[in-house]
Amino acid sequence: MIDWAAFVVVFIAAFLGATVIVSTYALGIRLLTISGRTPIVTPAEFTDAITVITPAEAKAAAKKAAKAAKKSPLTDGQKRAAYVGAWTCFVLSALSVIVGIFLIVPALHRFIGIA
Amino acid sequence: METLLIVVLVIALALFFDFTNGFHDTANAMATPIATGALRPKVAVTIAAILNLVGAFLSTEVARTISGGIIKEGDGGVLITPELIFAGLIGAIVWNMVTWLLGLPSSSSHALFGGLIGSALVGFGVQAIDFSVVLSKIVLPAVLAPLTAGVVAYTATKLAYSITRRYDGKPDGRDGFRHGQIFSSSLVALAHGTNDAQKTMGVITLTLISVGLQPAGSGPEFWVIVVCAIAIALGTYMGGWRIIKTLGTGLTDVKPAQGFAAETSTAATILASTHLGFALSTTQVASGSVVGSGLGRRGSKVRWRTAGRIGVGWLLTLPAAGAVGALAALVAQLGVVGIIIDTIAGVVVIATIFLWSRRSEVSSQNVVSEVADSGSAVKIKRNPKPKKQVTR
Repeated sequence: MIDWAAFVVVFIAAFLGATVIVSTYALGIRLLTISGRTPIVTPAEFTDAITVITPAEAKAAAKKAAKAAKKSPLTDGQKRAAYVGAWTCFVLSALSVIVGIFLIVPALHRFIGIA
Repeated sequence: METLLIVVLVIALALFFDFTNGFHDTANAMATPIATGALRPKVAVTIAAILNLVGAFLSTEVARTISGGIIKEGDGGVLITPELIFAGLIGAIVWNMVTWLLGLPSSSSHALFGGLIGSALVGFGVQAIDFSVVLSKIVLPAVLAPLTAGVVAYTATKLAYSITRRYDGKPDGRDGFRHGQIFSSSLVALAHGTNDAQKTMGVITLTLISVGLQPAGSGPEFWVIVVCAIAIALGTYMGGWRIIKTLGTGLTDVKPAQGFAAETSTAATILASTHLGFALSTTQVASGSVVGSGLGRRGSKVRWRTAGRIGVGWLLTLPAAGAVGALAALVAQLGVVGIIIDTIAGVVVIATIFLWSRRSEVSSQNVVSEVADSGSAVKIKRNPKPKKQVTR
């Protein structure tokens, strides 16, 4: 007796979880870029594993981002809205992680009394 | 007295297995964030160890699958002896070490199941194994979970890229995924702790049930959870140092956006499966994600030869570890002498391989991770030109 439904559940749960988290995070980055605050993240450490950007490249990227932000056709208000939207997305992304973990840890259910 | 001694021996061996599992798998969670520069190696390894520890406390479903499902114990079933569990563990550890040395892709989880099944077959014959549980909780998840992870990672990668894509050549901010990777890789470490630490808990619980220290069908005791959590966390931490030393070889080109999508998919798949008691191989799921997310990038192709080699390695693990487990069980049935022979053989194999690994002869083949290795199954074009946006 094989519980095929369980595999479907796993697929749906994993699919929904991952796509929601990734989409909201990506949307956050998109909005952050629109608001003129393009994230330039220099690697924490330079590994020789793959091509990562060097400090000089990071500087150039920051300059390019600033230039692009200056030319943005958006008003300050729109930019601010995009910035708030970006952080809303990041928070939503984090919340979906927390909800996901909450759902699978029975011990946590006691805290809100749905055991 | 003799029983107590063998129980202690089995628990020690199981914890050692747990330790090697953590040791072996740190790379799965932490190779990508280190490679993309999202985290400093030291920080990455510390986070991985802590989250493996935490993860071990989150669920007991998988442990129950192992202690109560695979082998029919209790009424109407067989009474598995600690000697047979011992033989199964020896089979698992030996096969694990051998594949690790040869650089064959394998799965420590499947080695464990294979070893146990092999020794139970020798001890009691076919009726000892609950094949429907083996099929529905181990074999099918082994095939379906990496596929699930692959499909999910493919979709997630496509989404991550299409949402952030800009056709006007302005900066797209995909660097920001580096921050995201800190969290996504931590999730993978957490998921690893929840699934893999439980396998050891299951084995120890099975042993305790077999000698009557615990009723059949019960879950792991709290102290078992604690020691397993500590063993896997320690293994993760120690394993990390080797990775740091050898990083830089064999890793495929993983971009932050892709890494983020792959890791999120891995974590989601493992956590969802764990919740339903599927004892799957975290390595295989992570590999599925890496391949899937590679295909999600534009201009990528599968290198079927590499993918096939990895697949064959996976298929081989269960029967091969089973054979070693069965052999160990045959020897163990000689009684005390057999156990001593098994122990000596196990110690010799472990010591040899430990000494071998000390010869600083480390390469991507034996150290980095099978996940990184599976990344090479996808050929990705470097920086393909964006397609022209269809203008209105």
